[in-house]
Amino acid sequence: MVDERLTRASASHSRFARKFADLLSRWAFMVPAAVLLLAVLAYPIFYTIEISFSRFDLATFSAVEWVGWENYAHVLDDYRFWESMKVTVVYLVFALPLQIVLGFGIAFLINAEWRGRNVVRALFIIPMVVAPVVAGGLWRMILDPLWGMVNYVLGLVGLGPLDWFGDPTLAMAALIIIDTWRWTPFVILTATAALLALPRDVFEAAEIDGANWWSKLWSITLPLLVPIIAATFVVRWLGAVKMFDIALAATYGGPGGATNVINLFIYEEAFRSLRFAESAAMAVIILVVTMVLTALFLRGSRLLEERY
Amino acid sequence: MSAIAQNVTHKRKSRLGARLRISAGVIACFLFLFPLIWMVLTSFKEQRDIFTMPPTLFFTPTLESYVTYLQRPDIWKRLVNTVIVAVGSGVLSIVAGAMAGYALARIRLRGAGTIGLLIVLSRGVPPIALAVPMFLVARKLGLTDKHITLILAYCTFLIPYVMWLMRGFFLSLPRELEESAMIDGCSRFGAFFKIIVPISLPGLLSTMIFSMILAWEELLFALVLTNRNASTIPVAIQGIAGDTINGANWAALTAVGTITVLPVIVFAMLVQKWLVQGLADGATKG
Repeated sequence: MVDERLTRASASHSRFARKFADLLSRWAFMVPAAVLLLAVLAYPIFYTIEISFSRFDLATFSAVEWVGWENYAHVLDDYRFWESMKVTVVYLVFALPLQIVLGFGIAFLINAEWRGRNVVRALFIIPMVVAPVVAGGLWRMILDPLWGMVNYVLGLVGLGPLDWFGDPTLAMAALIIIDTWRWTPFVILTATAALLALPRDVFEAAEIDGANWWSKLWSITLPLLVPIIAATFVVRWLGAVKMFDIALAATYGGPGGATNVINLFIYEEAFRSLRFAESAAMAVIILVVTMVLTALFLRGSRLLEERY
Repeated sequence: MSAIAQNVTHKRKSRLGARLRISAGVIACFLFLFPLIWMVLTSFKEQRDIFTMPPTLFFTPTLESYVTYLQRPDIWKRLVNTVIVAVGSGVLSIVAGAMAGYALARIRLRGAGTIGLLIVLSRGVPPIALAVPMFLVARKLGLTDKHITLILAYCTFLIPYVMWLMRGFFLSLPRELEESAMIDGCSRFGAFFKIIVPISLPGLLSTMIFSMILAWEELLFALVLTNRNASTIPVAIQGIAGDTINGANWAALTAVGTITVLPVIVFAMLVQKWLVQGLADGATKG
């Protein structure tokens, strides 16, 4: 307290000192986060970049010699890298739209005015907070070809049994199903909040004009929701590019690499095969691609927000 | 006359429609909960009830799976580790993240826009790009298998997350609050800690709880940075689920899975109102 008064008194002597103290107190709020993020986020990224351009010596466990683009050339030559990229793209292309459509659809269903609405909304939180690794293991049990619940139900309607984890296409389907199970609730909750925030008078006006529910949905609700759909897509994208836990627990990338998403592939290359330099190069490639796409999506989402 | 009749049938039709919609929504909700219900049920089954076709809903419940797996000392140790790491990273990230979020929301800083953009972009950094160098650095510094390493690693995604959520939260508070406090002679810090923090407590707490949940469930860093002493529950679950040699150990999987998931669900239900709000804000407020 005394200290503070002292600094204040001395600060009043010169305008510069006061300005400096003010600047300091403004930035002081940023300091803890900035220091931590520099140490644990920025520094590792630069270290990854360094390793990606070096030969990695396993004896000393460090980057020893600058080799230029060599690691990148190796990676880009590796068909397994491209296979894994393809798997990741397939997963993203199917999972994200599915989750957005399902999420907004279910939100639309439960949004009717009734007493249980808040209960149902709260219950939808539950799958979302299940640890992804538990989700993966749990669905492995449910989709089990011999003893699993899903194949039993499919059997009742005369389908299957399906070998969910033995067939490449089905394994990818399983991965998408598990991810969709865990993440659709997130979309539902965001969408429900958005639907509740829609202006009522527009709908009342449309009703007076005799609009049916379809035209209300198509020409009022959807256009109003476009910015939120876009924002939800960006948030989901940021989560989905990190897909790792579910694939590791449910399919372990198999069969034959059919669900070997890029994060899992890099993990295996680094920590099983100890090819740190190539893994770092792959990590940098993924980092750049993700950043560019994220910036594009953000930009697109802003544009949509302005238009609607 | 006919107009009124038409209106009545219209109302009745829309009520039927609403009822159909609601039932469809409730069925969807049940379908989403079913896998978890099934997991909890399975954790109370004996082996012969687990491996049976058709799957059985009626069985004599037993605590066998829990007794077997809770007797293994490593499960307890992992639980304690997970609690330490979740609480540690939750507290650290809420303090650092809330202060920075406040700075972004309220204090005019040159370059705040850039920082905001960097935070959003940092949410897109794939953790694997951090895991490789972190492992190497931790090894060099002798920091592998320590709680603090994991806590710091979790800050990489928790701090940006907290900053973003709290920024939105602070933006929604009326500016007059701290302005009047600062006119009354409070310093910026005083205004923040005496005025803003107390009224933001519900938001801060729920954000912290959600951060702890994220830390509780994290797998990649835990796999890479720990092996015995500081290893967490998700690593154990990964071990059980990925154990292809001994086959499917569903008793262990469901029992440990239930223990992992239940506390999280309880906490999530406690803060659900704020969670929904925060989610909506996080997704919509740019």
